[in-house]
Amino acid sequence: MTTETSSSSATTEQAQDVALFEVHKKIQVRAVSGIFATWRWALVWFTQLLFYGLCWLPWNGRQAVLLDLVERKFYIFGLVFWPQDVIFLAGLLIISAYSLFLFTAVGGRLWCGYACPQTVYTEIFLWIEQKIEGDRNARMKLDAAPMSARKFMIRGSRYAAWVAVALWTGFTFVGYFTPIKTLSSELMTLSFGPWETFWILFYGAFTYAFAGHLREQVCKYMCPYARFQGVMFDPDTLTITYDEERGEPRGTRKKGADYKTQGKGDCVDCGICVQVCPTGIDIRQGLQYECIGCAACIDACDQVMEKMAYPKGLIRYSTEHAIAQHWGWKDIAGHIVRPRVVIYTVILVAITAAWFWGLANKPVLRVDVIRDRATLAREVENGLIENLYRLQVMNVSESAERYSMSVTGLPGIRLAGETEIEVPAASNKSILVQVRVPPESGKQGSNVVFFDVKSTRNDKIAVHEKATFLIPR
Amino acid sequence: MQRLLWVLWPSFIVAGVAEGLFFTVVNPQELYLFGEPVHFSTLATLSIGFLAFWAICAGSSLFTCFLQKTPGEINGRGCGQPPASPAAR
Ligand code: SF4
Ligand code: SF4
Repeated sequence: MTTETSSSSATTEQAQDVALFEVHKKIQVRAVSGIFATWRWALVWFTQLLFYGLCWLPWNGRQAVLLDLVERKFYIFGLVFWPQDVIFLAGLLIISAYSLFLFTAVGGRLWCGYACPQTVYTEIFLWIEQKIEGDRNARMKLDAAPMSARKFMIRGSRYAAWVAVALWTGFTFVGYFTPIKTLSSELMTLSFGPWETFWILFYGAFTYAFAGHLREQVCKYMCPYARFQGVMFDPDTLTITYDEERGEPRGTRKKGADYKTQGKGDCVDCGICVQVCPTGIDIRQGLQYECIGCAACIDACDQVMEKMAYPKGLIRYSTEHAIAQHWGWKDIAGHIVRPRVVIYTVILVAITAAWFWGLANKPVLRVDVIRDRATLAREVENGLIENLYRLQVMNVSESAERYSMSVTGLPGIRLAGETEIEVPAASNKSILVQVRVPPESGKQGSNVVFFDVKSTRNDKIAVHEKATFLIPR
Repeated sequence: MQRLLWVLWPSFIVAGVAEGLFFTVVNPQELYLFGEPVHFSTLATLSIGFLAFWAICAGSSLFTCFLQKTPGEINGRGCGQPPASPAAR
C-alpha cells in the first residue's frame, strides 16, 4: 500500500467528516499513541487511582479523607477542618487558581490536556468505546449502519459499560461524604438512604453525560476556564503549534519523492491530526480557543513524519516568538522568566507559605464563651453575684484531652462547680459554668473578665477568652 | 439544547458556591422552617438546600436568556439559534 493512496482516501474521509461535524456535531476520535498519549494515560491512572482509591484508605481508625457534612468536619489525613477553618479552604482555592495561572502562562493548557476530569473521563469512556466498538472507521460504519441485532448488541454493551463506570464514580464520590464503609455495607444490602441514592445517581448521570456524550462541548461551551485562558497567554507561552512555514504548501506526495522541488512543504495533508483531535479542529489553522492542548495531534503527526522519514515536530510545543524567530528549546527556556511569570510565582509562593504557616499554627483548642441569655445575673448564697456562661470547648486535635478552666479579672472571682472538662478527639462539648464574685468587687453594670482554658497535659494548649460579667444595681 | 445548558449550567455552578458559603456559616441542624426547627436529616437539608439554590439560580439564568432574545425572535420571525458567537455571552 503506497502512502499516496492511503493519504488521498483519508482526505476524502476528512471532507466528509467536516460535513458530518457541521450537521451532527459528532466527533469520532481516532486513537493515537506516542509520548504525549503515554503522559495522558499516566495522569489518568494517577488521578483515578487517587480518586477511586483514596476514600478506602484508613487513618487513625477512620477514613483518611472524609468530608463529613453531617458533623460539619472535614478530615484530611491528620488534619481536621471545622467550619471556622473555612479560610483554609479559601486559601486552597486561591493557591489552585494561581497555580493554574502560572501553569497556563508557561505551558498553555496543560491542565486541560492532561489533568482536567473532563479530559480524563472522556479518555476512559473513549477507551471503552474503542474496546467494544472498534477503531474510528469501525465506529463510523456502525454509526451509519441501520439498526440491527448486532448494532443493538454492540451499542447496548457500550452503554452498559459506561453506566457501570458512571455508577461506580458516583458511588466513590458519595463515599467522600458518607463513610465509604457504611456505604459499601449499604451496597451489599442495597439499602442506601434516599439522598445517598439521589447523589450517586446524580453524579453518575453527570459523569455519563459529560464523558460519554457532551465531551468536547463541555470545553467549548461550558468551561469558564476555556473562556478566559487566553488572558494568561503571551507570545512566550508554550502552545501546540503547527509550523506553517515548514509545512506549507501542504499536499500529497509519493514517499521518498523530492517534494521540495515540487514546491511542497512537509505536510502530507493526510488529515490525521484532525482525526485524532478530540475537539475536532484543524490545528493547521493556527491556535484556536477550542484546542485543549492535549497534544494528540503532535503524537499523530510525529508518526506520519517518521513514516515519511521527515524530521519530527511539524506540530510541536512551541511559542509564538519561537516559531517566528526559529528559536530552539534553549531560547524558549530562556524566555520562561518574564514579568508575568515572576509575578504569578511570587504571589503563589507567598500565599502558599502563608497557608502552611497558618496550618502549622492552627489552634488545636477553641473556646467560645456565650452568656446564658435566660438569666443575666442573680444573687446566690452569701450574697455572691452569679453569672452563667455556656463554654463551647472544641478539641480540634486528634486525641482526647482534659482541660482545666479558670476565670480572672475581678477580685475574688471564681468558678462554682466543675473546673475540668474532658473532650474526646475532634469534637466539642458545651458546658454551663457558674461564675461568682462578691458584689463589692466590681462596678455596677458590665465588667470585663477572662476565661482561661488550658490543657492539663500541655500548658501551651491554652485559650484566653474575654467575656463580660454583669453586676446588677 | 444549548439554551437549556445555558440555564442549568451556570446556575449549577453558582448554586454550588452558594451552598458552600451558606452552610459554612449556618449549621443545617439549627435552621428553622416556618418557625419550626427542621426535622429532616442533615443530608436531606443539605441536598434540598442545594436543589433550592439551583432552582433559584436557574430562574435567574432563565430570565437572562429570556431577555437575550433578539428582536427577530420576539417578532416571531423564526426563533433561530441564540447568538452564535461565544463572545456574545
Ligand atoms: S488541536 Fe491538537 S492539541 Fe489541540 S485539542 Fe486538537 S488534538 Fe489536542
Ligand atoms: S500536519 Fe501532520 S498529521 Fe496533520 S495533515 Fe499534515 S502531516 Fe498529517
